[in-house]
Amino acid sequence: MSALLKVESLRVEIAARTRILTAIDEVSFEISEGEILGVVGESGAGKSVTGTAVLGLLEKPAYQAGGRILFGGQRIDTLGEDALRTLRGKEIAAVFQDPLTSLDPLMTIGDQLVETIQTHLPLKAGEALERAGQLLAEVGIPAPRERLRSYPHELSGGMRQRVVLALAFCCEPRLIIADEPTTALDVSIQAQILDLLRRMCRERGTAVMLVTHDMGVIAEATDRVAVMYAGRIVEIGPTATLLVGASHPYTRGLMASIPDMRRREVELTQIPGSMPRPDAPVSGCAFHPRCSIAEARCSVERPDDVVIGPSRVACWFAGDTSRSVAR
Amino acid sequence: MSMQDTILSVDRLTVRFDASPPLLQRLLTGAGRRAVHAVEEVDFEIGRGSTFALVGESGCGKSTIARTIAGIQPPTTGAVSFMGVDISGFRTRHAALPYRRNLQMIFQDPYASLNPRWRVGRIVAEPILTHKLMTSGAALTERIAELLSVVGLSPADARKFPHQFSGGQRQRISIARALASNPAFIVCDEPTSALDVSVQAQILNLMKKLQRELGLTYLLISHNLAVVAHMADRMGVMYLGRLVEQGDAGQILERPLHPYTRLLLDTVPDPRAPNRSRARLSGEVPSPLAPPSGCAFHPRCPLANERCSREPPQPIRVGAAWVSCHAVEEGRLPSPTRENDQRPARTGDAA
Amino acid sequence: MSLTGVRHTAAEWWQSDIAYRFRRSPIAILAALVGLALLAAALGADALAPYDAFDPAAANAADARLPPGSEGLFGDYYLLGTDPQGRDMLSAMLFGLRTSLLVGLASVMAAGVAGVLLGLVAGYFGGILDAIIMRAADVQLSFPAILIALLIDGVTRTVLPAELHQELAVPILVAAIAASFWVQYARTVRGLVLVERGREYVLAARVTGVSTARILLSHILPNTMGPVLVIATINLALAILTESTLSFLGVGLPPTQPSLGSLVRIGNEFVFSGDWWISALPGLLLVMLSLSVNIFGDWLRDALNPKLAT
Repeated sequence: MSALLKVESLRVEIAARTRILTAIDEVSFEISEGEILGVVGESGAGKSVTGTAVLGLLEKPAYQAGGRILFGGQRIDTLGEDALRTLRGKEIAAVFQDPLTSLDPLMTIGDQLVETIQTHLPLKAGEALERAGQLLAEVGIPAPRERLRSYPHELSGGMRQRVVLALAFCCEPRLIIADEPTTALDVSIQAQILDLLRRMCRERGTAVMLVTHDMGVIAEATDRVAVMYAGRIVEIGPTATLLVGASHPYTRGLMASIPDMRRREVELTQIPGSMPRPDAPVSGCAFHPRCSIAEARCSVERPDDVVIGPSRVACWFAGDTSRSVAR
Repeated sequence: MSMQDTILSVDRLTVRFDASPPLLQRLLTGAGRRAVHAVEEVDFEIGRGSTFALVGESGCGKSTIARTIAGIQPPTTGAVSFMGVDISGFRTRHAALPYRRNLQMIFQDPYASLNPRWRVGRIVAEPILTHKLMTSGAALTERIAELLSVVGLSPADARKFPHQFSGGQRQRISIARALASNPAFIVCDEPTSALDVSVQAQILNLMKKLQRELGLTYLLISHNLAVVAHMADRMGVMYLGRLVEQGDAGQILERPLHPYTRLLLDTVPDPRAPNRSRARLSGEVPSPLAPPSGCAFHPRCPLANERCSREPPQPIRVGAAWVSCHAVEEGRLPSPTRENDQRPARTGDAA
Repeated sequence: MSLTGVRHTAAEWWQSDIAYRFRRSPIAILAALVGLALLAAALGADALAPYDAFDPAAANAADARLPPGSEGLFGDYYLLGTDPQGRDMLSAMLFGLRTSLLVGLASVMAAGVAGVLLGLVAGYFGGILDAIIMRAADVQLSFPAILIALLIDGVTRTVLPAELHQELAVPILVAAIAASFWVQYARTVRGLVLVERGREYVLAARVTGVSTARILLSHILPNTMGPVLVIATINLALAILTESTLSFLGVGLPPTQPSLGSLVRIGNEFVFSGDWWISALPGLLLVMLSLSVNIFGDWLRDALNPKLAT
């Protein structure tokens, strides 16, 4: 499989009042057709900024300051606004946390689907409506024909997110950027939506970049995962490998701090302190002040990526098995 | 369900919200009054020094119960008694003060739970000044510094404003504020839902440490079963306003009885077991405006029969848990989780 | 009260977003400077005015309707000319500015206090109180502000003896304008209170047992002040214009107490005979005043609106 999306050394800066802050730096990853890549990290780690940059939707004061974004082998970060808009509607779709931001409250579900379909596909109104009905059925909405006449506020949160997925899929995009698509939903509905997303990707070969803060969602839906910390990818690799045997001390700490349903501990493993904010960057490895295996070198030199099996890890001691973190 | 030292007991608590259209519209269209059945006949007790967790999907009524217990949502019927006093009986604000001093609450959103225009010191001092436990002065300043140190902040933080802190630090400030009047009981409404996991671990550890050191009792409201597994001694599972199962948290999480609890537990993604295949909870929670007849869960329940759609189940005792389900009562429950379980022992009414 | 106090230090103010935005906005600075200069001129009218505009003795009928830059019969110099009574225009305008600003500020304050309190009560308690206050506001809004002010002026004119009415002209005018402006505050504050009262910091205060009055005044009220300040600024310009309109129509202030509006009215008769300055100069001052206040208000609204923030 060739890479559908290729992000190379992406750097995004924010022009603050008096100085320039680095939001993300040296971010590189690929997504293949039909693959779901999870991007996980704490709030402010830069995961949403990465998604926004790929969509070409960075807004002032944030801007791309370096690197390249290639989609299907073609550079898209240098495209003009018009070309980008066409690309976003047809080839790349976006799904956000709050379905209401993606839906027009004054239009029926059917009208919105038909409008989107007709913008991108040469179909007559009747055919487009037919296709809209099919899509709603495909995303598991009961009584899809009647629902075409509903307004967004008449649907529950889970149903709305299904409609948003139908909208995202309606032009057969090759890539979907989903930013916390299930965060606002209950676990049972969340599982339904993730199943749906996974099924649609398998069937259509759509690639997905799934941005989330929830390791559960990562475990549930992704093939590979990129862990972001303070604007960088600290570890990227296959989900199964990474969740069970992570190499970066941050990923390991993150996994250890999740309470285990089956084992009740007196105290959870916690990572002390908090992630540095972009306005107070840390020298060397950004994780070193919180890291239990950090040495003098970590506070001075920024670690390069090391390849360990199928994974890529940015840590000076990634390959060093003698330095295992307490788990 | 007796305990040596019960600090809070909730007795047949029902909370309904009026969702009727405006009077004029009712008169014109002939529509009747409508009520949201937020909480229906809920019973439970919490022992001093323990943690009781309420879990369930959004809209199941768990937050309404938390607010009723915290005294900011009056019950429709039923009673909440705290340290032996019925909290709905207070006639004046003054009469309720001793109860309010002993019961505090921590909220979900660390960005909304602190007044953005107040300095941290003033926020933390509010309960102390409201209950006239101290007057402004050096002693108060010292007490604030002490409270901030207890939750892992620096005394100098008292001079800052909330926006200068991260989400986790703000939740620490909320905890410091909740501790300020030396309460015995803290209602924690989704205290870590808005936090990142590494910060969540810090806050949960802090809450446990405070419980050990100060003998606090917690009512924990959460949709996160892993958090509940870590924190709770006893738990209740809510569905559409009703408590469908309650008892020892370990037992329920290990051997859930109610079909809803089972499906809920099966739905939770486990980061330690990626891509496992499981049963799915299909459909959605029905509207609390028109709850289904009989057992509210029957439209989504794989074990439902005709009786379930007709007759609401009464709680029965099974081991250390109480469960409201006809299938459990009739022994129709499929076996996998029952092998080392005793036969359901009927002990009559739970109330 | 350094530890628990609400007050920001000067350094914190200078660092705050609003101060930063202000420093970066030349138009806001200009508007503020013009507004402050006019305020200073109004406050210092006694010292700045070459003649006493209220003193009939200072007016000289022989010097009536002299164009700007004229010298009077007795060697008086009139920089901005004179009005039909021979009053010095500059002095009259300075005192008129003072009256206009006084009436404007007082009515904005009165409307603000009344509207904010009613909005707080309506929003927090809801129910019947809310229904009564908001229906009253609806009724109020279905009449143009100027009509209400005219009505109040008319009623007091008939009820009160002429002399008393003259004496109470300023308070009556303030009340009349305030009565037509309170609705906007009440509605805005009510809307904000509906949001704030459900926020968790208010719930936390209720759980703690803080009294309702305290919750309203020390928790909710400060968090609604931003939008109120914006309305107040924009309303100040409107109130000044309303006062001028009323005075122009002759129902506002008595002729012995000139306001910018009544000066325009006096000059109105003479515009077509070529004596433009009697109307145009006070009019120009009025425009400058309301424009600077309005521009500042607009800027303030944008600066306080987080959605427009970058």
